Amino acid sequence: MRIKKWLSFSPDSLSLNGETLGVVGGGVEMLHELYRRKVGDYPKFFKMDMLGKLGFVASELLLQSEDAPRFVPREDRSVVFCNRSASLVADRRYQETISDADNYYPSPALFVYTLPNIVTGEIAIRNKYYGETSFVVLEKFDPEQIAMHVAAAFQDPVCQSQLVGWTECSDESHWQCLMLLVEREGELDRHGLAATLERMFTSL
Amino acid sequence: MKELIEELKVKIIEALNLEEVRPEDIDENASLFGDGLGLDSIDALELIVMMERNYGIKLKDPAQGKEIFKSITVMADYIQKNRTK
Amino acid sequence: MGAAAPVWITGSGVVSAIGLDKRECLASLLAERSGVGEVQYLQTSHHEFPVGEVKLSNGQMRERLGIAPDALTTRTALMGMLALQEALQEAEVSAGMLPETAFISGTTVGGMDKSEQYYLDFLSGESHMEYIALHDCGSCSEAVAQHFGEWAMVTTPSTACSSAANAIILGANMIRCGEADMVVAGGSECITKFHLNGFHSLMILDERPCRPFDATRNGLNLGEGAAYLVLESAEHAQRRGVPAQAVLSGYGNGCDAFHQTASSPDGEGAFLAMKEALEMAGLSPQDVGYVNAHGTGTPNNDLSESHALRRIFGPQLPPFSSTKPFTGHTTSASGSIEAVFCLLAMRNGFIPANLNWSQPIEEGLVPVTATREAGLEHVLCNAFGFGGNDSSLLFSKPVGR
Repeated sequence: MRIKKWLSFSPDSLSLNGETLGVVGGGVEMLHELYRRKVGDYPKFFKMDMLGKLGFVASELLLQSEDAPRFVPREDRSVVFCNRSASLVADRRYQETISDADNYYPSPALFVYTLPNIVTGEIAIRNKYYGETSFVVLEKFDPEQIAMHVAAAFQDPVCQSQLVGWTECSDESHWQCLMLLVEREGELDRHGLAATLERMFTSL
Repeated sequence: MKELIEELKVKIIEALNLEEVRPEDIDENASLFGDGLGLDSIDALELIVMMERNYGIKLKDPAQGKEIFKSITVMADYIQKNRTK
Repeated sequence: MGAAAPVWITGSGVVSAIGLDKRECLASLLAERSGVGEVQYLQTSHHEFPVGEVKLSNGQMRERLGIAPDALTTRTALMGMLALQEALQEAEVSAGMLPETAFISGTTVGGMDKSEQYYLDFLSGESHMEYIALHDCGSCSEAVAQHFGEWAMVTTPSTACSSAANAIILGANMIRCGEADMVVAGGSECITKFHLNGFHSLMILDERPCRPFDATRNGLNLGEGAAYLVLESAEHAQRRGVPAQAVLSGYGNGCDAFHQTASSPDGEGAFLAMKEALEMAGLSPQDVGYVNAHGTGTPNNDLSESHALRRIFGPQLPPFSSTKPFTGHTTSASGSIEAVFCLLAMRNGFIPANLNWSQPIEEGLVPVTATREAGLEHVLCNAFGFGGNDSSLLFSKPVGR
């Protein structure tokens, strides 16, 4: 395996392929600002939940830095994301629409995002990725296990590259996001990938 | 009616998180789905909730929405005739 | 490309609305006895929607499992334990083998049943705070696993209604890339008010028993349950002298890349998943003797899946049915519950009925409407999830059986 592009993103710092990018504001507004400055052509972004916005913005920045044509239908790229809190932020917001009998209006748009894997679907829709998509909930950040999931996904011979993410988001002002574009061919084995993830996480 | 149309524009923008759309950008006679505002099936369901919450109108069949959400003018007309609050 | 080495299935267990183990589920499938009816266990005002509940209270499940009445647990975890117990027994897996075994359990609802029960307490911070730790999907899998001992690894795929199928795919991939010799994989999910209301807000619940692939279909009935398969490399199973109940000869996951919840008109994701499963097994569509369709009973899913089936099989479709009228849509657990039904069908030589069907869908597809005998060599089992996450599993009879 080989890490072709990488991004690390917390509310305090954003770096893409080792280069620090400026961020403005905090919380979800920071994601909105990044979207407006760096993307701007996908209004569906504003309908996404926190996890969706985080994954979307991170994947856009990462994929913009890849020297390859975008939005061409392809089956050879998988999207494999992990986190700890699943869709907790959306769960809370949706629960509020059903917890008061006198103000009881379950929101379909909020419910949809109570499925953590919707973010991988959003990225597949945006980029026309028809390959494997997967979302795994872990007890904690576990680089060996994340690397194992990546190795397992490469068992599919069609899969040549993967968008790999740790997209953890416990509320609207706290997140940890690592995102890698990993190619099948290269010198890294599973443990090498895990060690890189560990290093990135420590400096997050 | 004119007032209701303006009110609907604001409520739709809010309910559907149309962050970059201003009320004056919406043509009340243009289609809400497809080419118009580019809304999808989840947005249609969210509009059904919005009608219930604000105007006390309960739709049971999502297919009914297709007719009612043709444009904001059609929607306003329907609301005026059927509202319970 | 030749077929990949098949993964052996040496045991399985299931809990669903039609039975608390495989024997009971088999009897219900053969007798065409549905487990869908008026809500009985879930505390909700929505009695208009039929559901497929597992016919035990949490207390009764605890009793069966020998869990103290005051122990903290969730319904998803309890159902998972019941199904896992049966799977481990059949595969002759002892507690001593678990430290070498991985456990992969798909769920999306996790501990939501307790979170919604105590949500207001959580907010006030005055009582039941101990249940917060049980909310996470991952903690449910841990609880199921720990009831039996310490495992090499526990992980939780959460890809909505294809979660359990993806757990099985992940387990098989781990075996094939040498990460594990034995993996127990599947899923568990209880019904909650949270997602009953959610599906209702999407207007896809039917107030009548669901009718997959019928022209009058009008939505799904929610169900619940759990099921697990014990997956092993052939060498590992042979070494410990355990026979294959079936083999997982192929599988595929494709993304529909169309919409968050709606399936594409041409069923692209479903088509890719089935195609990949057949290619991996080195089989042609004609080899498939039965398809257990995802068939939820929503207008959108069944039409999209019909197009995908036509694209794979052409005009001559193999016999197919959806077993969701028996169990309801068991969401994250459906992939493994229906996988166990496929194994039962292969083993006992029958095709389960697609209950409640009367008139063909626009596409003209006609499912198997009465349970009937059939010798089956290869069966395909579909599970599709929101997010366009579509999976297909291909099971085959072991050679020489």
